[in-house]
Amino acid sequence: MESCEGPPRSAQGLMSSVGASWLRAPYPAMVVDTAGTVVEANARAAALFPGAVRGARLADAAPDWLVRGHRSTGPGAARRAGPAGPVRGRHGTRTLEAHPTPGEGGHTVWWLVDDTDRSQAQAALRSEQERTAFLADASSRLLASLNTERCMEVTVGMAAEHLADAAVLVAPGAGRRHPLAVAAGGTVTHRTARIDPSAVPGLAEALQGFPPVPSRWIDPAALPDWAVPEALTGPVGSVAVTPLPGHGVPAGALILLRRGDHAAFDASEEVFARIFAARAGIALSAARLYTEQSGITATLMAELLPPALRQVHGVEYAGGYRASKETERVGGDFYDVHPGAGPDDETLAVLGDVCGKGLQAAVLTGKIRNTLQALLPLADDHGRLLCLLNGALLSSHHTRFATLVLASVRRSGGVTHLRLTSAGHPAPLILRQDGTVEEADTSGTLVGALPDLRSTTAHVDLQPGETCLLYTDGVTEARGGPLGDVMWGDERLRDTLAECADMPAEAVVEHIQLAAATWTGDHRQDDVAVMAITAPRTTHLTAVDGHTRGRYTA
Amino acid sequence: MNADRYDYLDLVTTVDGSGVARIRLGGELDWETADDLTAAARSCLTADPPPRRLRLDCAGLTLCDSLGLAALLMIHRKAGETGTPLHLDNRPPLLDRLLELTGTAYLFATAEEAGGRMAAAEQAAATRPAPPPPPSS
Repeated sequence: MESCEGPPRSAQGLMSSVGASWLRAPYPAMVVDTAGTVVEANARAAALFPGAVRGARLADAAPDWLVRGHRSTGPGAARRAGPAGPVRGRHGTRTLEAHPTPGEGGHTVWWLVDDTDRSQAQAALRSEQERTAFLADASSRLLASLNTERCMEVTVGMAAEHLADAAVLVAPGAGRRHPLAVAAGGTVTHRTARIDPSAVPGLAEALQGFPPVPSRWIDPAALPDWAVPEALTGPVGSVAVTPLPGHGVPAGALILLRRGDHAAFDASEEVFARIFAARAGIALSAARLYTEQSGITATLMAELLPPALRQVHGVEYAGGYRASKETERVGGDFYDVHPGAGPDDETLAVLGDVCGKGLQAAVLTGKIRNTLQALLPLADDHGRLLCLLNGALLSSHHTRFATLVLASVRRSGGVTHLRLTSAGHPAPLILRQDGTVEEADTSGTLVGALPDLRSTTAHVDLQPGETCLLYTDGVTEARGGPLGDVMWGDERLRDTLAECADMPAEAVVEHIQLAAATWTGDHRQDDVAVMAITAPRTTHLTAVDGHTRGRYTA
Repeated sequence: MNADRYDYLDLVTTVDGSGVARIRLGGELDWETADDLTAAARSCLTADPPPRRLRLDCAGLTLCDSLGLAALLMIHRKAGETGTPLHLDNRPPLLDRLLELTGTAYLFATAEEAGGRMAAAEQAAATRPAPPPPPSS
């Protein structure tokens, strides 16, 4: 460029001084005087601006932006604003950058650089950066929640904001009813509708996980009403349908809609929509899996929670269960009462403790409770019942076991007869009317781990007001005291039980639970289950024949 | 209880010249540590050559919960499969109490009792197994 600043005073002189090399420069170049007249243009400049011949006005030959740029480089302008920088603008399909350099006699030499590719690359980079930022934002917002509806909201909301004017998410449904999330005009709505996916071209396929059809195949006029949000103003111009791929199974499909006055989806936008849909699909699928699993867990838990106990055939039953904080609502302790068929039949009460904690313990608990239910007809022989239960639980893979107490209860007149059998469990405590506490004389082997089983059964009679307490070792092993390291222990349990003479079953359970919980305080504790079987102080109704319900008051 | 040893199980395995494997237990045998003991015993029992005897030294045991007992039962089962005599030595009262309560004490004869118990067991096997004594209260 220095070569332009030579001593010659005319355009002709300029040319002679710079020589032919100027004309052969790889860039278009032209010399324009202060009046805006073209003094000289090289061949490339002439090819670019066919009108730029010597003597022509620049305004006639070049685009406006270059004319404006030239005016601002005039001598006066240069004094006001210093040397002018390059100006940029479009010429046809090209983008040009024009660099002015001062020439002799106030002329300006314009060097033109074609930077179409660079500006395209910059635009592409900017767009990719925006897309990457959008995808990162989408991922963090989508994965922030494991709630399916929230995921659907975020998906359509972001799609309507960044990819289209409106978005409809069709989730897989049961039968023809599909949950829909619709976003348009800044609002998101949910509904479940009976729709026919085949009414939207490509939707039925997308819901099955097939790749999308190109958007130009879809006629916006043929869209069913449900697929066009009311909040979308104006007619639909273009439509894209994208599957939401999930973990193995499709998580739904996304319908993107643009108004007629907006640009249609181009190929790169469709690809980008698919990338977004892939992230949304994974988030949705994770949310759906979580929802399903928590539903399953809730169903199982509901089945595993201990029953509410009541009076059965003239005997009071009360149970209390407190799961350890670590295992939450369902743990390894359980109790059940299986009422006898009639008032003269034995009622089987069971309280047990399954080895371990958490889900595995809960599953074993469920197995034991179900097996015991099936074995009820054999409850007249506790030893045999336990052997059968043991056989059903034995596994070659583990030695997870359970300890339990069986209590067969029958009231006859004022006396309640109990048959008590412990299978590796703390023996039941008997609270007499005078407040003395005895331990039932029963012992046995735990069930579920050993091929052989031994047990002894104790026969105990309860007078009215007397209680038999079944408990898991979580009660006696509850740690507490000043330093949280002393077990509540057998003695404290017995002493507390002794205070419960003549109490109803429910009060006994509450009293024991309260005392143990007070001892433990905030310290870590295991599952705790207690059950009281109490012979109530009731009056025998002699007027009744003795074989119908309600023979006893209370 | 020593706070430093909370939720902690020490396992030291030694095999002496006569082929007797010993595992010394220290700390708490509970749901967090039971699998470690099972694994240690399993690797003892599957060694080549297999040990002549497996002795678990329980002197340092400060806690044994139901999963700890499940681990001991599993080791008993594995030892039975390989025909390796298993002993629980130096049982602290807490372990004795747990074994009595759950009716499993007869499985783990101590060294002194081994001879007598084994003879009794053989005799018992010929007839009907006798119920265990009631747990001491």
